[in-house]
Amino acid sequence: MKMKNEYLAIAIVILATVVTVAGILGFENYRRQSEYTVELIARATEHGNWYPSTIKLAYGKPAKILIRNIDVVSHGFALPDFEIAVPEIKAGEAVVVEFTPNKRGTFPFLCTIWCSNRHMEMRGRLIVE
Amino acid sequence: MIETKEKLFGIIDLNARFELTRYKPVRALLKSRWMPLLPILINLFIFVIILLAAFSGGLSAGNYNFGIMIVWILWWVLLMLMLVPGFSRAWCMVCPFPIFADWAQRTRLFDVKPGKLGGLGLKWPKKLSNMWVMNIAFLVTTFFSGFMTVMPIATFILLGIIILAAFVVGLVFEKRTFCLYLCPVSGFQGLYSQFATIEVRRKDWEICKNHNPKTCYVGNEKGYGCPWMRTPFDFQKNTYCGMCLECLKTCPYDNMAINLRPPGVDLLVNTKREPRGLDEAWKAFIMLGIAIVFYLAFQGPWGFFKDMVRGATLPGYLGYITFHTTFNLLIIPGIFFVFAYLSKRLSGNKDVPLKTVFTNFAYTLVPMGLGVWMGFSVGILLPNGSYILHVLSDPFAWGWNLLGTASVPWTPVLTGIMGYVQGAILLVFFLFAVGYGWLLAKQTYADTVQARRGFLPILAFLTLITLVFLWLFLG
Repeated sequence: MKMKNEYLAIAIVILATVVTVAGILGFENYRRQSEYTVELIARATEHGNWYPSTIKLAYGKPAKILIRNIDVVSHGFALPDFEIAVPEIKAGEAVVVEFTPNKRGTFPFLCTIWCSNRHMEMRGRLIVE
Repeated sequence: MIETKEKLFGIIDLNARFELTRYKPVRALLKSRWMPLLPILINLFIFVIILLAAFSGGLSAGNYNFGIMIVWILWWVLLMLMLVPGFSRAWCMVCPFPIFADWAQRTRLFDVKPGKLGGLGLKWPKKLSNMWVMNIAFLVTTFFSGFMTVMPIATFILLGIIILAAFVVGLVFEKRTFCLYLCPVSGFQGLYSQFATIEVRRKDWEICKNHNPKTCYVGNEKGYGCPWMRTPFDFQKNTYCGMCLECLKTCPYDNMAINLRPPGVDLLVNTKREPRGLDEAWKAFIMLGIAIVFYLAFQGPWGFFKDMVRGATLPGYLGYITFHTTFNLLIIPGIFFVFAYLSKRLSGNKDVPLKTVFTNFAYTLVPMGLGVWMGFSVGILLPNGSYILHVLSDPFAWGWNLLGTASVPWTPVLTGIMGYVQGAILLVFFLFAVGYGWLLAKQTYADTVQARRGFLPILAFLTLITLVFLWLFLG
C-alpha cells in the first residue's frame, strides 16, 4: 500500500513537470498550425523588427494572422491595402487579424505607433499569390 | 511556549493559545504524509508554468506574463499580506524548490526510509548558521529588482538559480541547510514569522522530557527527524521552523500542536538557545530600507530613480547599487544606533550594554517593517491586480483565452482610497511596534522608570518611520 503512494507521488511529479511542459508545447504547436495561417512577431527595429519580415498568403483563402508583441513597448499593425489596422498591441500581448486576401501582389504592413527612433523602418511585406 | 506575565497593550494575554490540532480531522490531515506533499506537488505544477512562461516571455514587458504577474504581484502580495503575518512560514511548508533535494537525500518522495540520509550530509559552518548570508543574498537579489519585475527572463534566471542552488546545496549539506541559511526569501519570512498568529509547538514538556529517543529530532517510521534541524520538543520561536509537519507525524504522543496565538509573542523570546541577534536586527533594517527604496523606485513619481534602478545607464545603475547597499547596511542601522544610544543615555542605566539595547529594540522593526511591507503590497495589488485575470487566461501571451478573461483590460481598483488603506495598515502595525517596544523596554532595563525613559527615543524613531511612510503613501 505504501509503495503504491510512493509511485503515485512520483507519477504526480512527472505529470507536473515533464508531461506539463511537453503537453503545453505540443498543444501550442498543434494550435498554431491548425488555427493560424501565419505567426508574426512584433519587435521594434532595434530589437529585430517584424519577424518574419515577409509573409505569404493564398489569394481568396481566409487568413488568420497571430501577431505577438514580444517587445517592451506597444506596437500597432496596419495593412493599408486591405484596410486593416490594429491600433495598439501592448507589450506582451497577442492579437489575431482575420481577413481574406482579395488582391494579388506585394503589400506593405507596418507599425502605427511611434515605438522607437527607427519606428519608420518597422515595416514588412505581405505577398498574396 | 514561553510563559510571560506581560500583556500587550495591557489587555492581550500573550500566553493565550487555541490549539487547532485538538480537532481530530485536522490532526489526522496534518499527520498524513500527503501533507504537505500534495500542496507542494500542486505548487510544483504552478511553478513549472511560471518558469515556462518566464522563459518564453524572454525580454518582453512583464505586464502580460504569467511568470512576472504570479510571482511579483500575486505571490509576493499573498506572502506579505497573508501568509507570513497569518500563517508564519506556511510558504516554506508548500515551497516546491527543495523537493528535488529532499527526494535525493531520502530516496523517497512519499514513504519514510529509515536510516542515514543520502548526499554528502556536510554540516553548515557554525559561524554562518544565522541570517547573515540570507541578508546579503536578499539584498543582492534586490539589485536586480528593476529587471526581475519587468523582464520575464530575469525572473526565470532568478528562480532557476534558486532551484539549482537548493538542489546542489541539498546534495552537499545536510537536510534543509539551503532553506535555513541561504534562501533569499527565507530570512525575512523567518524574521517576520515571529509576529505570525500561528505556531508549531510542543504541548506538555513533561511528556517530551521523559521521551527518549526524541523522535521529533531523530525521526521514526512515521516521519523524518526535523529537516530544519530544530529541536521541536523545546524551541520557542517561529524563526527557523519551516512548518514541514514532520514533528506532528513522528511524535507518538501527539504532543506537538499547531496553535493560534496573539501576534508577535516571539519578539519577547530571548533564550540561550534562541537569542536575539545582530543578524536578525540587520535583517529588520534591510527589510525596512528595501521597502523605502522600492517605494521610491516602483510607486513614487521620481523618474530619474526608476531609470537608475532599471539600469538605463551603467553609471546610474552602479549609483543605485551603491546607494541601496549603503542605505540598507549602514545608514538605516546608523540612524537606529543613534536612537538606541539616546535610549541608553536617557534610561540612566549604565549596566546594560549598548549592544543589548540596540539589538533588543531592533525587534520593534518586525511589526513596523511588516506593516510597511503590507502597505507596499496593497500598492502593488490594487493598481496591478487586474493583470492577473488576463494572465490566467493567456499565461504565455500566445493568444489563449482559457477562462474567457484574456481581454479584461488593465483596471486599477480602489486606487482613490489606496493611500488611506496603506496608512491605516501602517498605523495598526505602528501600534503593535509601540506595544512590543514598551515590553522590550521593560525586558531591557532594570525597572519601569528606566524603561519609560529609555523607550522614548525608540518611540520617536518608530514615529519618525511611520510619518515618513504616511507621507510616502498619502503624498
